[in-house]
Amino acid sequence: MSTYARQAAENVTLPSSLDEAVAALAAMPSAVPVAGGTDLMAAVNAGLLRPAALVGLGRISEIRGWQYADGAALLGAGLTHARMGRPDFAALIPALATAARSAGPPQIRNAGTLGGNIASAAPTGDALPVLAALEASVILAGPDGDRELPISHLLTGMDPMRPGELLAFVRIPLLHAPQTFLKATGRTGPGRAIASVALVVDPARRQVRCSVGAVAPVPLRPLEAEQWVAGLIDWDGDRTLADEACTAFGEYVAAACIPDQPGVELPPAALQLRRTVAALSRRALGRALA
Amino acid sequence: MSIIDGTDAATDTLAAGSAPHGIGTSVPSVDALAKAQGTYPYAADLWAEGLLWAAVLRSPHPHARITRIDTTDAAAMPGVRAVVTHEDVPGDAMHGRRVADRPVFASDMVRHHGEPIAAVAADHPDTARLAAAAILVEYEVLEPVTDPEKAFAAEPLHPDGNLIRHIPLRFGDPDATGEIVVEGLYRVGRQDPAPIGAEAGLAVPRPDGGVELYVASTDPHADRDLAAACFGLEADRVKVVVTGVPGAMGDREDSGVQLPLGLLALRTGCPVKFVATREESFLGHAHRHPTLLRYRHHADAEGRLVKVEAQILLDAGAYADASSDALAAAVSFAAGPYVVPHVFVEGWAVRTNNPPSGHVRGEGAMQVCAAYEGQMDKLAAKLGLEPAEVRMRNVLATGDLLPTGQTVTCPAPVGELLKAVRDADLPPLPDGDDESQWLLPGGLSGAGEPGAVRRGVGYALGMVHVLGAEGTDEVSTATVRVHDGQATVICAAVDTGQGFTTLARQIVQEVLGVEDVRVLPSDTDQPPAGPAARGRHTWVSGGAVERAAKMVRTQLLQPLAAKFGMSVELLSIADGKITSYDGVLSTTVAETLDGKELWATAQCRPHPTDRLDENGQGDAFVGLTFCAVRAVVDVDIELGSVRVVELAVAQDVGRILNPRQLAARIEAGVTQGVGMALMEDLRAPRGIVKRPSLTGYPLPTALDAPDVRIVKLVEERDVVAPFGAKAVSAVPVVTSPAAVAAAVRAATGRPVTRLPIRPQAAVVKPPA
Repeated sequence: MSTYARQAAENVTLPSSLDEAVAALAAMPSAVPVAGGTDLMAAVNAGLLRPAALVGLGRISEIRGWQYADGAALLGAGLTHARMGRPDFAALIPALATAARSAGPPQIRNAGTLGGNIASAAPTGDALPVLAALEASVILAGPDGDRELPISHLLTGMDPMRPGELLAFVRIPLLHAPQTFLKATGRTGPGRAIASVALVVDPARRQVRCSVGAVAPVPLRPLEAEQWVAGLIDWDGDRTLADEACTAFGEYVAAACIPDQPGVELPPAALQLRRTVAALSRRALGRALA
Repeated sequence: MSIIDGTDAATDTLAAGSAPHGIGTSVPSVDALAKAQGTYPYAADLWAEGLLWAAVLRSPHPHARITRIDTTDAAAMPGVRAVVTHEDVPGDAMHGRRVADRPVFASDMVRHHGEPIAAVAADHPDTARLAAAAILVEYEVLEPVTDPEKAFAAEPLHPDGNLIRHIPLRFGDPDATGEIVVEGLYRVGRQDPAPIGAEAGLAVPRPDGGVELYVASTDPHADRDLAAACFGLEADRVKVVVTGVPGAMGDREDSGVQLPLGLLALRTGCPVKFVATREESFLGHAHRHPTLLRYRHHADAEGRLVKVEAQILLDAGAYADASSDALAAAVSFAAGPYVVPHVFVEGWAVRTNNPPSGHVRGEGAMQVCAAYEGQMDKLAAKLGLEPAEVRMRNVLATGDLLPTGQTVTCPAPVGELLKAVRDADLPPLPDGDDESQWLLPGGLSGAGEPGAVRRGVGYALGMVHVLGAEGTDEVSTATVRVHDGQATVICAAVDTGQGFTTLARQIVQEVLGVEDVRVLPSDTDQPPAGPAARGRHTWVSGGAVERAAKMVRTQLLQPLAAKFGMSVELLSIADGKITSYDGVLSTTVAETLDGKELWATAQCRPHPTDRLDENGQGDAFVGLTFCAVRAVVDVDIELGSVRVVELAVAQDVGRILNPRQLAARIEAGVTQGVGMALMEDLRAPRGIVKRPSLTGYPLPTALDAPDVRIVKLVEERDVVAPFGAKAVSAVPVVTSPAAVAAAVRAATGRPVTRLPIRPQAAVVKPPA
């Protein structure tokens, strides 16, 4: 006789549609939704988390692909990193594809999902700066219907997810504009970002949008630097910038993300991080304009 | 990943048509297919009817006094069958591989994060873990001593004191000076052996009151003796059965797992199984010694070394373990494979509250290699010479003296090795029109930019001893049996993946001409063969197998020879046939055996060695092996990311016994060295291990592993070694980190004094 009652099977639901999933969450408010499980199950195995019940999202086919909707791409939250890394997706949203390819070793990319990256909201989440730079919005399915909010509102906690809500889709405007994602890891194989930069040059709105990941709990947008550099670009001409301008942009971004502390000398590690962000931003802008 | 152009002749045997056979051919490993298919059984796969699961309670503090342990709640939990603490150890409370200074369970003090305090057996692993967490331990938390430099003056952390060993080495004239003097301070981090399979085991009680331990031990007899002493049993009532070993870089098993397992099985009368989590694995087993090294090299104007002065401080962690051996290697090889007339070294291994250090291959020798090669680069820069040239002017050769006063009697082709890597072609620069397809530091589609990438080339020469040093009795025993055209080898030497099983088959094939050779699994009912470390089994166990096989050969041929009036030496065996030199006699092995069984047992024990004396002098080593590595790296000098493009290796191997296995060992060693050079460092600020997981502790992946180019394998036979062969696994680990550091130095102009190399150390700051 074992003291261990195998409860797991009864407490895992595998809904096959979003509505069923929302209903399952409403029926068991203590349940935790799980998609790829690359963060969640590691925490469970380490004994850090013991969810009373799980709602598995793997069988909801409507959130595992993407579709077009009014000049935007509507990405299912269950899209895996491996899927986002493929060439057809890369043609659509190149920066997100690059981020997905660098998100970890193949085993992690095969399982880990876009929605999971957002829900875990780790500072080093590779998709997050890209979503911030693309000004993506998230669609949450809940018992009272869907609602849509900017990704930044969700990540910063301005407008957090409410009980019973499920991350269903991510809406990304399709730009037909250069976009880049660069990540510094210190190694050649997949690793956690020391810093990452996503950058979009948007001729339609005559904007440069830049987002810096891994240096703060949420991706940072250096708005002043964006406006400054957008003002330098000849939007009607060949849209090139002098190397000096790119370098200055990099330093502007870095100083905005890792600001000087009045009266305190920054420690060497912070100065190094600032140099890294400056180099990444400069390279990202250079590549986007090339 | 591998490019071999030194061993073509030997690898071609496969292409020649016949199956590989005997010494010098690439006989494939018997278990390779099972391992690739995932059917090879490891300890974590074992099962016994009615087994219980064990969990170990470990200390969350690096240094604390235990004021109370209360197991009442845990023992009362349903499903819990036994809870054991220090009070339940029937035999010796203290154990240790070299010095018995480590308690089975902490009783009054905990000395490192993760030290075992109690263990639970329950009917389910979760129940066992919950029960372990329910054991109440009251601690009086003490200030941890984590800086080895402060350990000297700190309050003793252990009744044995904080100084585990001090070796002063004095060789030559202390007042000698050179025209050129360079100084440096070097640090080497804490590498974890990170075996691919975490620790696991099964203990089964025996009806006679004894116990059998099924574990992936690398030294079954030592583990048995240690367990028997702790259980208060005679050695013959404890049996260690070796299961599949999922990776071993040193002393594989954590005694903090085996001992509780055996105690719980004896207490409950049931089989007990334990499988460590990855976190427990990182906390429990021994790591490479973090080391602080201070050097001063004196040279004359031509770059010839005059004097080397060094201070070496090894952080042993809480217990002595193999620190004494590591220190002896560090001090003896402090100057590297160079001729130095005057050497003065002070080496210390000290106790701290950091994670325990122990035997990880190349211990001691790897850390000093990083330092003395850094010094050689400094010397080259000061003299305005090529780094390879300075090294070439100082290389050691057979007949030279080590700083320990020992004469190098084995082959020492150091100059030849260096020349081979220096003259090898350099790998091409990335080309092709599409720069985005270049593999730059940071990886494919990474942040690397060709304009910021600098290529560097660096050299390192390394040496390490073969077999245990300083008077260790290195002996192994093997038995060979022939019956019915099949040979069987019985030897307790554990195949940890180093390929001993394959080697034993090759030896018997070679000596007896029998194709079908089986090597039985190891356990402690067989005579001892010692630990699988420092190339021992290639030497002593391989030697014992050879002798036993030769004895069987004589038994087989003697009657034939007598019958035909010729000596045994005139008969030869091949493909199961016995022929005489003149071709007159031709018969088969099976016919000659005529249903008989032939058995022989033999031992191999190399010549004895001395312990280093009070001046660090003595013939402490049986054999030495050398290696030269040329590293080519690309560094993104703005981001500090490093990609090792290629490592060219030339190695002194004595004799190639199995070309494919040899190449695999070198590639594995070099890759481990790349991990040490660039990423592996188990951080433990204030004694608390940070991020003990394979996400937090990065290992080289396929993208990080460089092309390994074996440019030369020097086959100069070591006359005292069986087959003249030298062990090959450790010396690439010793040498490659230093080579990578040298190449990063060349690419960036930065000093690079710390391993692993952090990105900030490889960044070239723009002129202010």
